[in-house]
Formats: sequence, C-alpha cells, structure tokens
Amino acid sequence: MINRNRAAILTAVILTAIGAMCAWLRIKYTWKSPGSQGSRAWRLTYDISLSSTKGGKIHIALPDSTPYSRISRETFSHQGIWVDLLRNKRTQGRETSVVSMAGNQKGHFFAHFDIQLKPDQQSKLLAVEEKISANDRAYYLRAEKGIQIAGPGLSNIMNQLADQQMTKTELLTRIFDYCAENIIKDEKDTFSDAMNTLEHGIGNTLGRARAMVALCRAYKIPARVVAGFILENTQEAQMHYWVEAFSQKKWLSYDPENGYSAQLPITFLPISRNGIDIVRGPDTISYQSRYSIRRLLSSTSFVSSQENQLWNIVDLIRLPPSMQEIVSLILLLPVAALITTIFRNIIGIQAFGTFTPGLIALSFIHADWRTGTLVFFIVLSVGISARLLLNKLQLLMVARLSIVLTLAVLCMVLAVSVLDYLNLTPSASAVLLPIVILTMMIERFNIIAEEDGLPNALKIFAATIFVSVCCFLVMKVELIGRLALMFPEVQLFNVAILLLIGRYSGYRLSEIWRFRDITQIPFN
Amino acid sequence: MVHPGKLPLWSWPSELRQNGIMGINSRNTNLIFPLNPRANYALVDNKALTKKLCESRHIPAPRTYALIQRFGDIKRSIDLLFGLSSFVIKPTRGAGGRGVLVIAHRSGKGFKNTKGELFSLEQIRYHISTILSGLYSLSGHPDQAMIEKLIEPHPAFKGLTVAGTPDIRVVIYKTTPIMSMLRLPTKASKGRANLHQGAAGVGIDLETGITYGGVWRDRVFDVHPDAGASLSGVTIPMWKDVLKIATQLSCAIGLQYVGVDVLLDAEDGPLILEANARPGLSIQIANRCGLWPRLNEINLKQGLS
Repeated sequence: MINRNRAAILTAVILTAIGAMCAWLRIKYTWKSPGSQGSRAWRLTYDISLSSTKGGKIHIALPDSTPYSRISRETFSHQGIWVDLLRNKRTQGRETSVVSMAGNQKGHFFAHFDIQLKPDQQSKLLAVEEKISANDRAYYLRAEKGIQIAGPGLSNIMNQLADQQMTKTELLTRIFDYCAENIIKDEKDTFSDAMNTLEHGIGNTLGRARAMVALCRAYKIPARVVAGFILENTQEAQMHYWVEAFSQKKWLSYDPENGYSAQLPITFLPISRNGIDIVRGPDTISYQSRYSIRRLLSSTSFVSSQENQLWNIVDLIRLPPSMQEIVSLILLLPVAALITTIFRNIIGIQAFGTFTPGLIALSFIHADWRTGTLVFFIVLSVGISARLLLNKLQLLMVARLSIVLTLAVLCMVLAVSVLDYLNLTPSASAVLLPIVILTMMIERFNIIAEEDGLPNALKIFAATIFVSVCCFLVMKVELIGRLALMFPEVQLFNVAILLLIGRYSGYRLSEIWRFRDITQIPFN
Repeated sequence: MVHPGKLPLWSWPSELRQNGIMGINSRNTNLIFPLNPRANYALVDNKALTKKLCESRHIPAPRTYALIQRFGDIKRSIDLLFGLSSFVIKPTRGAGGRGVLVIAHRSGKGFKNTKGELFSLEQIRYHISTILSGLYSLSGHPDQAMIEKLIEPHPAFKGLTVAGTPDIRVVIYKTTPIMSMLRLPTKASKGRANLHQGAAGVGIDLETGITYGGVWRDRVFDVHPDAGASLSGVTIPMWKDVLKIATQLSCAIGLQYVGVDVLLDAEDGPLILEANARPGLSIQIANRCGLWPRLNEINLKQGLS
C-alpha cells in the first residue's frame, strides 16, 4: 500500500521532470534570440465592418503562406454573417466568401494572421517555375479598367522603348526602368490608371504599377498587379501595389516605385492577385476596412524553427493553422478529463460518464453557446421523454439505444435546419453536438431515474452540466490551448497529477458534508 | 424526523479523521484494490454463482426452485410453478432490484404479486424470457433467471416492515464482522433495501444484536421515516447465526473486505441474500461510528498473534 503510493509519487515526479526537461529543451533550441526572431514574426489584423441594403456575397482576400513566409496561426471572428474559406480558381489565392447578409443588416469580420518569415531567405523572393494556360495568358494580356493597353501616350512610350533585337528579359528590364524613373510619385490627388499615369508622367503607387502592367501587356508579356502589404509596425496599414510579370516560366516580381527588380524583400506580403481591393463585392454591400500590422516579440509569437529536421515532428506549431486548431482541441481533452477526475475524486461531484463533460465542452468551443445550449436541451428533453415512452415497450438494450440515437440525430438535424430557417445560427458547425455521448447520457439518466429516483438523476444531470461548464471555461482560454499545442509535453504533468489523484485516499469534499452527523451525535 | 438539536452543515476533515470515518477514496485504495482480487468479483456479481457457493459450503440461502439458463428451459420451469403458491423470480445479474417479480399467492389459474396484481402463466413466461435476453442486466448481456422461495419477513421486524423485506448488512474484514446494520425498505426506496435508493439503515450492536438509532438519506434518524416506529432497541433474532453465515460466505468468496446481506426468514432463520464487493459507507452514520477504529483493532490483533 505504502509502496504503491511511493511508486505513484516517484513516477509522477519522474514524469514531471521529463516534461520540464522537454519544455526547457524546446525553449532553448527552438526559440531563437528575441531580436532576430521578433523581426521575423508579424501580426496582420483585418477589421472590416459591413452593412448591406439588399444582401449578397462578397469576397475577402486573405494572406497565404509563400515560399518565404508562413502563416503560423490565424483566428477569425465574425458576427451576423456566414463565412466560408475558399481558393480563387485562377490565382489560387486564399479568400473567404462572406455570404447572405440579409437586407439592412450589419456584419463584422475580424481576423488575425501571425506571419513568420523564414530565416534562410534573406531578401530574395523565390519565384517558382510554373506553367500558364492559353486562357490565363489571354487573361493577363487583356485590357481592363485602369489598365489601358492602347492609346497615343502608350504608343509614344513604346516607340522610345522599342528595339528589334531585344529579348523579352531585356525588354522587361527596360519597361521596369522606364516606370521606375519617368513617373513622379504623388500620392495625393493624382492618377491611378495606366493611361493617365503614362501620359502625364505622374501617378500614385497603383497608377505606376498599372502603368508597368499595361506596358508589359502591350508587349505581350503576361502581367498583373499584386495588392499587398509591406510588413512594418503600423496601426493603419496602407495597401501597396507591385507587379508580377511572367517571364522565363516564372512570375517575377517588380516594384517600380521602390526599385526592386525581379526580387523583393521578404517583408512584401502579397494578399490579392485578383483585383486591387481586399474586399470585393456588389455595390449593395458597403464596408469599412482597417488593417493593422504589428511586430510580434518572441514571447507572444510562439515562433518555431523552420529547418526540416526529424525532431520537428514534436514541434506542433509547424502544422498548418487549420490542423493546429484540431490538434489543440484534441490536446485539451486530457485537460478536461483531469478536471472531471478532480471533481469526482477530490470534490466528490459525480457526472454521467468520465468523458461526457469534456466532450460536451469540446463541442461548444467553436460553437455559438446560446444556440448550442438550446439545441442541447431540445435533444436531451426529446430523448429523455422518448426513452420514457420506449420503456413501456420493454425493448432490448441495443435496439432501444439505437432508437434513441436515431431520435437524437433527427432532433438535432431538425433543430439545425430550423435555426437556419430563422436565420439564427451563424454556422452549421455551431450546433454539432456529440450525439453518441448524448445518447448514452439519455440512457444513463433514465436508468438512474428509474433505479434511484428522479431527484438523484436530476442531481447527477446538474452535476454533469456544472462540470461541463467548468471544462468549457478552462478549454476556452486561448492561452491554455496554445500552451497545449506549443508544449505537448505538459500532458506528462497531466498524467503526473492524475497518478497522484489516483492514489489519493483522503476525504472527498462532499464527505465532510455527507458524514456531518456522525461527529456531532455521540453514540448512546 | 431529524434528530433534535441543531446540526452543523459540515464536519471538518480533522473531526472525521478523529472519529475514524472512512471515505470512498480510502475504501477503494486501501481496502478494495489490495484486498479484493478482481477475479473473485464474479462470485458476488452473479447471484447464481453466490447461491451455488452457499450450497456447496452448506451455508443457508433461500431455496432455489429452478435456475433457467436457456430459453429451452422455460417450459420445464413453468410446469414446476404449478406446484407452488408463492415464489420470487429474479435475474442473476440484476442490480437495484430490477426485474424481480414477487408472487405472493395463487389466484385461480393465475398468480398475484404482493400488491395484488394478477399475472397469468403466459405473462410469467414472458417475464422470464425478457430476463434471459438481458433486459435487466445493466450491460445488456444475456442473463439467467432464478426462481426462489419467497421469504416471509421475521415477525421481529413487524413494526419496521413497510414496503419490502428488511435485510441485515454485515461488513466483514478478514473473516471478522466489524460493523452491521439493519436495512429497512421505505416508500421512497420503492421497497428496495439499498440506502442510496432511499432505504433506512439501523446500526446494530455486534455483541448483543440490539439496534440503536439509524440513518436515512445520510442523516441521523431515530424513527422509521414511514412507520414512525422507534429504530432503536430492536433485538435481531438468531443474531449469532446471522454473523456466522455471513462470515462463512465471506471466507468462501475470497474477498477480504466485503458486505454480506442476510435475510431473516420466519421459518428458516438467517439466509444469505447476496454479497457486495464494494459495501457502502453510510453504515458508519447508522452506527454513529467510523470503520477505521474497528479495522485497526483487527489489524492489531492479527499483528500480535
């Protein structure tokens, strides 16, 4: 008995030591010095308010990982709108589509992107060889609004630049040089289209970029305007525009304003290659957008190493953001189990099942808790009353459980559909509850109500809700999820605590209440 | 009726420790895990196996008329019922009194239960088949049905018998009875004798077999919650025999910390009902006394011998 306690404590201590050592090694070897890491990690924030008169669909362009930068983390929050992540068919750029803003409604879209720049790419923008289809070629050679590829001004300039013996590469350099040198920068009230910029020799950033694209296209070199940001600390980030021209089987980047040719500093963050605005949509939806960029210090950026080494397997931060989200949720399940164990063995509050509270809490993490709770109670009450009726038929257990499961599924699907019909739910995933867990909960509730009475069943039910809420509140803390992801070794601490609880033989908190009478009334 | 006088809302852990009160964690880690081998649980979880053990060791238990293991056996057993006027049908793995059918007397071609409801032979046959298919076993596994002799509660408990048959729980540690209580079904417990289902418990003096005050819903009680009769001063008949058969069973089962439930039949005297590998802790409230001092006393004695 004593030996078992000692063994448990010893194991717990060893696990804690291993966990602490792993965490220390991780900090020591993956977190570089704050200065160098800090300048490589940035946070871009979107803050877009929308209001619509008629409803419709808009697109918001999002930053994407590139050969020299990586989105290590992103969070979205939105109100009053439906959001769907997708990729643009032509450019493969990431976008969200924001749909179904009903008439006279306001919506809000808020997003954070943590961007990590790769340390080994000093100032080169790596272009990848790729093919371009005939269709796309025609698309990137066309005239469009603001990029006129015919006109007297353009012909004059083309006459200056033209030379029969020039190669495409030399021509591109000529065009770049012309746009970099012969256009005067004026941000205030000047031209933003190609024709006027070229004719008057004066224009803003967009006008200059469009002028270069127009010249490229006039010479049959596919080209496009890239809208994006330059990473620097700013509260009001302004769009910057540069040019990509397709040459030598690559999309080469040019920034005629700052004089970067064929390569850009890695602080250039492309957002959209499909139009000059981040938000695209019909006139019925008006929007106000604000973008801010700030440098992350290493303590807040949680950056990780980039080298492709085997031991990076234990570095979960390197996973893509969408997978990080799932992994961190999974890693939180043991935390929820720990909470449930503490409630059971130390406090003495018993819930239905060991994992029920954790799984219920989990399903609420990314859900809207109001609709989630509503659906939760609808499913439960329908399930419990159906189970009561089924009781009269005296069905065998497996058949009975399957019927309750079917009812719970139908009930939930119907609830989702009704909520959607009433335009009440922001997203379908908001109310996807763990149906199997609910079914077992309904079953346990009925058995306990039958065997030990309804008050007992209600008591355990209330306890389950209480423990679930506690799990939810802990799991909802973003930092805990983040820590679980950054330091998977903290699970060892979890096991250590569970070992100690598993050998805890002291009183439960509920027992000082349960046995309150004994100590007071002497035996006579 | 709660014991007179103002009662506190809680006791400090130090007070509980002083009184030697055992908590659930302590029971599990210090007694059940080390003393009760998991392999022997089957002997207590399956009432048919417990009964078989009793028979082989000549420990008195309610007479078994039939054990029905297969659907094919049902007809033969039903034929047997013609010769009986009262009997009990129960699942061998049932818990909390589920699936127990008590037939008190015959009524023409059919049978009547204690509440006077009429049962035809066909209904009884159906009840047995639902037991066999596992309707009442918690895990839903196929089960067996037992037909037993109906116990006639001993007249000594007359004023305390309201809704079901009282039984006596004896907690045995290493072959020595250390604490005991009379378990009285109430209306709240729907005739069942489990304390957590609402039955009342009454502490029994191990030496004399005389009861003193009891417990109901974890509170100290001096009178029966339904009948109002005093709980103290009842002498358990054949007390030494009750302790003897309970001890015999605990030795046979091979669990060193076990609760044995004994019935007191008006004709046959003490009979084994069942055993429990995780006996509850409310018995301490019924006895106004913790389990630890009694356990320690035995440990001390064994240490000396």
